[in-house]
Amino acid sequence: MRISKSGLKIKNLKTNKMKISFKYISYFFLFVLGLSMTLTSCTDDLNVTPKDDDEFLSETFFENPASYKQVLAKLYAGLYVGGNDGDGDATQPGKNPDIAGLGGDFSSYLRLLFVTQEFSTDEAIIAWADGTLPTLNAQTWAPANEFLEGTFSRAFYHISVANEFLRQTTDEKLTARGVDADLKAQIATFRAEARFLRAFSYYNLMDLFGNVPITTENDPVGFFYPVQKSRAEVFAFVESELKDLDNSLAASGSNEYGRVDKTAAKFLLAQVYLNAKVYTGTDKNNEAAALCSEIITSSAYKFADVPYRYLFSADNNTNGAQTEVIFPIVGDGNAIRATGGGMSFIMHASIGGSMDASSRGMDGGWQGIRTRREFVNLFPDADAAADKRGTFYTNGQSKDISNVSTFTDGYAVTKYINKKADGSAAQRNDIPDIDFPMFRLTDAYLMYAEATLRGAASGNLGTALGYINQIRKRAEAQPITLGEMTLDFILDERGRELFWECHRRTDLIRFGRFTGGSKIWQWKGGSVNGNATESFRDLMPIPARNIQANPTLKQNPGY
Amino acid sequence: MKTIYKKLLFLFLLLPFGVFAQNTLNGTVVDKTTGQPIPGVNVNVQGAPGGTSTGFDGNYQLSNVKNGNKIVVSFIGYKTEIIDYNGQKTLDVSLEEDTNQLKEVVVQVGYGTVKKKDATGSVSQISSKEFNKGINVTPESLISGRISGVNVTGGGAPGAKADIRIRGGSSLNASNEPLIVLDGLPLSNAVPSGATSILSTIDPNDIESFTVLKDASAAAIYGSRAANGVIVITTKKGTKGGVKVNFSSQVGINTVANTVDVMSADQFRELVNTKGTPAQQALLGNANTNWQDEIFHTALTTNNNISVSGSLFNKLPVRLSVGNVDNPGILRNTSFERTTTSISLNPVLFDNHLKIDISGNLSFGKNQFQDEGAVIGSAIGFDPTQPVYQAGSRYGGYFEWLEPTGNLPLLPARNPVARLNQDDRRATSTRKWGNVRVDYKLHFFEDLRVVAEAGIDRFDSSGYTEVSTQSALGYQPKPFNGPDYVNLGNYNSYTDALQNKNLNAYFNYTKDLGKIKVDATAGYNYQLFQKEKYSSGEVRQPNPNEDVATDPDVNLQSFFGRLNLGYDSRYLLTLNYRRDGTSRFSEDNRWGNFAGGAFAWNLSEEAFLKDNATVSTLKLRVGYGTTGQQDISAQYDYLRRVTIGTINSQYIFGNTVYSTARPEGYNENIKWEELAEANIGIDYGFFNDRITGSINYFDKKSSDLLADIAVPDGANLRNQGFFNIGSVRTKGVEFSIASDIVKNDNLTWNVAFNTTYIDQKISELGITVPGFQGYLTGDNIAGGNGNKILINSVGYSPNSFFVYEQLYDANKRPIAGAYADRNGDGKIDAGDRYRAGKAAPDYTFGLFSTLNYKKFDFTMNWRASVGNHIFDNVSSNLGYSDAGLRRQTDLSNVSSDYYNTGFTFEDNGTSRYLSDYFIKDASFIKLDNVTLGYTLDKSIIKAASLRFTAGVQNVFILTKYNGLDPEKFNGIDNNVYPRARTFLFGVNANF
Repeated sequence: MRISKSGLKIKNLKTNKMKISFKYISYFFLFVLGLSMTLTSCTDDLNVTPKDDDEFLSETFFENPASYKQVLAKLYAGLYVGGNDGDGDATQPGKNPDIAGLGGDFSSYLRLLFVTQEFSTDEAIIAWADGTLPTLNAQTWAPANEFLEGTFSRAFYHISVANEFLRQTTDEKLTARGVDADLKAQIATFRAEARFLRAFSYYNLMDLFGNVPITTENDPVGFFYPVQKSRAEVFAFVESELKDLDNSLAASGSNEYGRVDKTAAKFLLAQVYLNAKVYTGTDKNNEAAALCSEIITSSAYKFADVPYRYLFSADNNTNGAQTEVIFPIVGDGNAIRATGGGMSFIMHASIGGSMDASSRGMDGGWQGIRTRREFVNLFPDADAAADKRGTFYTNGQSKDISNVSTFTDGYAVTKYINKKADGSAAQRNDIPDIDFPMFRLTDAYLMYAEATLRGAASGNLGTALGYINQIRKRAEAQPITLGEMTLDFILDERGRELFWECHRRTDLIRFGRFTGGSKIWQWKGGSVNGNATESFRDLMPIPARNIQANPTLKQNPGY
Repeated sequence: MKTIYKKLLFLFLLLPFGVFAQNTLNGTVVDKTTGQPIPGVNVNVQGAPGGTSTGFDGNYQLSNVKNGNKIVVSFIGYKTEIIDYNGQKTLDVSLEEDTNQLKEVVVQVGYGTVKKKDATGSVSQISSKEFNKGINVTPESLISGRISGVNVTGGGAPGAKADIRIRGGSSLNASNEPLIVLDGLPLSNAVPSGATSILSTIDPNDIESFTVLKDASAAAIYGSRAANGVIVITTKKGTKGGVKVNFSSQVGINTVANTVDVMSADQFRELVNTKGTPAQQALLGNANTNWQDEIFHTALTTNNNISVSGSLFNKLPVRLSVGNVDNPGILRNTSFERTTTSISLNPVLFDNHLKIDISGNLSFGKNQFQDEGAVIGSAIGFDPTQPVYQAGSRYGGYFEWLEPTGNLPLLPARNPVARLNQDDRRATSTRKWGNVRVDYKLHFFEDLRVVAEAGIDRFDSSGYTEVSTQSALGYQPKPFNGPDYVNLGNYNSYTDALQNKNLNAYFNYTKDLGKIKVDATAGYNYQLFQKEKYSSGEVRQPNPNEDVATDPDVNLQSFFGRLNLGYDSRYLLTLNYRRDGTSRFSEDNRWGNFAGGAFAWNLSEEAFLKDNATVSTLKLRVGYGTTGQQDISAQYDYLRRVTIGTINSQYIFGNTVYSTARPEGYNENIKWEELAEANIGIDYGFFNDRITGSINYFDKKSSDLLADIAVPDGANLRNQGFFNIGSVRTKGVEFSIASDIVKNDNLTWNVAFNTTYIDQKISELGITVPGFQGYLTGDNIAGGNGNKILINSVGYSPNSFFVYEQLYDANKRPIAGAYADRNGDGKIDAGDRYRAGKAAPDYTFGLFSTLNYKKFDFTMNWRASVGNHIFDNVSSNLGYSDAGLRRQTDLSNVSSDYYNTGFTFEDNGTSRYLSDYFIKDASFIKLDNVTLGYTLDKSIIKAASLRFTAGVQNVFILTKYNGLDPEKFNGIDNNVYPRARTFLFGVNANF
């Protein structure tokens, strides 16, 4: 019906040919006009912006006053959890791990610190034969090592995010966004914390790899080859940053739990000074002792007069231990769900053999990490009778490690526990609540004593002895005499007090006992009873993948 | 975009209507041989505008006819009749079929068609009659092995996506997938969760032809998405004439063709008893379980399709098709079921001035799948001495490794059979797509056509994963040996929606000026891709991570033009130009200009060959063109963005939980990757085209490659990302030949053969620092963490295997951890790795043979591949004794390759799995398909012709490779879903 109707209409039109033509021509031009109008409005569609509720353009994101603290939270969370969605799911865009190519669990900052600082020493050994992991147990690593690659990239990732935060929070930018004075003041503190965390990453890079590039907020974001600096130059940068931060970080004890203040900067600087000879060839023991003294006597942090084990329990942020912790890396089973990174790694991997995981507050074990014979021997006994810190699990475990990959070879370690101090359960049994004590006050005690023994003019041996015995008293260990307080004793005591807290490799290197033959432990060098290793291994190699990415980087000698 | 549709609608309404008819001359047009009326035949007065066409009954009416007029009666496929008018009241015409014209193959060239003989680019076409036979669940298998330069690698899982590469692709990390255009609608390769592939939503029975535009001069008209070639799929359309019904039904029996070689239970017992500790020996069971036999089974596939085509109301050609395929996988509890309905309406109005093509399609998919890699992996590695079931097991009666306390250990593999039955993963998907094409030939200016196409493609899915409360994989918040033990199982669900919109509008001008033919096209294209996904998170666990994820839009817009000039069908010139814009790049880098030109010389039209029957076709083609590539996973990498972490990545300050915000890495300067391709080709035909074929040489270079590379640490907010670096050069030769070797009344035998040689090398990676080896690439291999075995290095093929050279003892057994010091520096380190082959073949071959003897037909197709390598990741990951003896508390099976190597430990820093021992030659010859058919024509059953078929698919493979299957697209063989061997029976009826 319709067809014939329209047919009729056109039949009428057809009778006047001229008219039709004009009409058609005008239609045609209308069509062209309409088309070009449509096209111009469409090209705007090419300006695509984020539509997801979790994704923003930087310029709009920072218009929100709450945004700054969220980036700060990322800078801290990144120490523990490896991605935007817990350990990261590389298959989901936007939720991928921070470090491409590695799972967010594997590339957790804390996990990698543990891998590099502990497995390479007498304090720990891991059963797993994952890739090049066994070479870390044996000090036989090579540049092609995914764990070192992860560590290098992870530290630089944190530096880059801190740099970006500093770029986004300059005074001009904040003023332009109309940020009020109150928030500006808060952001000034955030900036100082970002710089502190950046310095912390540079410290780790300097300590592990030595000669690394330095990038700051003044560098562009793009693709260029950051210039490698000498270890001494990195030292100078870290030192100047930490000194300067004393002006801008929050006053000691004034910040929220979980965030650092001036004391953390002082602590890190003391640590850097204590190792200055390793980094620059020049002692800075006097400066180290002075800073430690300041931390001990005039900061808000107090020796935690609680049983030693409280410091490593699920509620160590509230059970009294927190007064001692200068820089905690916060863990929480519900809010910070690292399933394979952070404390979840340390807890799961250290459970195995006949150990009942539920007695550790956990859901099971990964049968990985134990400690070595020589480390156990630092304690008067293996059952924490004469020293509460020597908490080993020996049931079904042999002290000797005849086979690295057998979990029951070597004593297991039960230092950390995912239960509250009173024995009650944590929030979950698959993800721990324990906060990792990155810096704590008794370390400053030990650093003070060591710097003093190393000849710091500002130090006092009597005071140092008092500190040492205060630590030992809490551990219910025998006090020592001034004569017993030797450097060797300090190294051992640091092991007893601070083991599995990611300090051992640095300590051993400072004492000249990491490589070489002056201190031997099982499987050092790859043999059952250990052998000397070459001193170039005091520095880790610049990892192969990172050299591939930046071919201007020079490899450390020996590799 | 809404506005654009409205505006266009308005514009279409403005289109003039025109039907000219006067009641003077009547008549009927019939087919000369059958006497059947022919609808749609053009009847007009020579030299005068207007005219009419016949209706469904073949009748017409033509007005305004004067004495002495010449009445022209024409129809495609028939010889045109010209009759003098001298006052007849009626004029009945019978038309004779024009056999020459019917033979004329018309090929799609993008926004138009040309006759094959007038094509200037490298274009191959396969139509439904020539498709691969057998049970084809997804359309791409119809052409596998059939077109030189086109490599189709299918997967084993039901409905799995095939990887298609035309001339080896051209990118490192941008997409290497060809653009697929379905009835004018360019498809997106993205699919929603729970669906397998975009092509799997199409019933192969509905496809009329595949046209492959291979070289840049041909593909350039499709611009931004055409750098890897274009596959134009045309579906079957309504026909003029009587109603035709086609029914086809197939049944396939999918059988397990091969499994991975691992130790038998007895072999494994011996290994544990000789190498294991007493604790490990105590774990051995008494069963003899072949876990792969337990998870795989024989499955029955059915495939049915019915289609009706004809004309509605005399005027409206229409085709309606309904198809259903039910394809259970050989892995238990996996299946792919698809039901499609498609309708196409193809009315022609106003004296052929207005052609409308409307197609509407609905495809429903029902998928059941598994965590396939994990299930297959655990079946390969599960201890063969353990039984499937164990009395009293709290895990649904299945054997699982338990600690002495009864608690579930975290590390051991879970019973693969239990996983299959207790981990239920299902999804349904609906894809709706439609395209409206309006082709209007201007009434006042018939040489000019205005064409507008608008299409919309919506693909939704919803699915869930439910882990039973009896499964070892269930969430068990409290240990078994404590109070309050409970197994909550797991449950998560998701919905996913993809929507793509497409609009093309163009003008086409054609004019015959004597010997010179002009065909010019200019237009505009708009494409928009959108995606949104909801996921519930694990709802049986505390604080499920519920989220709606909205992907950024991807928007592409282009202006294009093409000019075809032909002189006497002898000299043909094509020039094209395209300006492409993409939302992936910043305004400064957004627009790319791409152009192409091609020239063809039809020697067979020249006087000296014109009537030569020996050399019946000879055409020389030369083409050069550029196209752009922007299809990378990063949607707007140039923008500075911040993303918010989920509830899994928060941080606590004081007592307050804060979401975390991550500034994302970016590349402000990201821009078009550009491909330039030259092609020289010859099309030939001998002995009246009894032998036909073509030869092509191509040389293409992609530069400013969009590569996902390691970023120098500290230079960006990421350690890896997309940057434009370097270039890749691909050279190749394609050869195809087809011949009717025997052709007589009873027997015809046709053989078609093609071969392709491809040489692809990275010519530059932007880095000239000495010692730079290249960029590691590809998926992480199993073994270690974050290990990659593929590298992109200058001077080598992309994705070359990057390995250590294994040393062997006197008995030719590999020595564990011993490699050649290739750089002679006295130590074995990354500097000694070298490039040992690649996954892509050097040569591929396809052979298709069709033999018809009386009512029997017999087809075969063979494929072969030479020079391709594979990394045996199963053996590298499981072929050493410690793989079975990892822990004291559970055992797992070891690959039989252990007997070849005697390797004992995993790695210990020896880079064992990066040894070239595991790189194997994966060249193969494969008989893909044999089919025998028998046709019962209408002589027996009046109403219908029937064809019965029986055949085998994936018949056999000849290869030196001992693993599961040498054909693996990315060259890494690990936990692969095996391809089934299918025995099939089918019947096809035409009414």
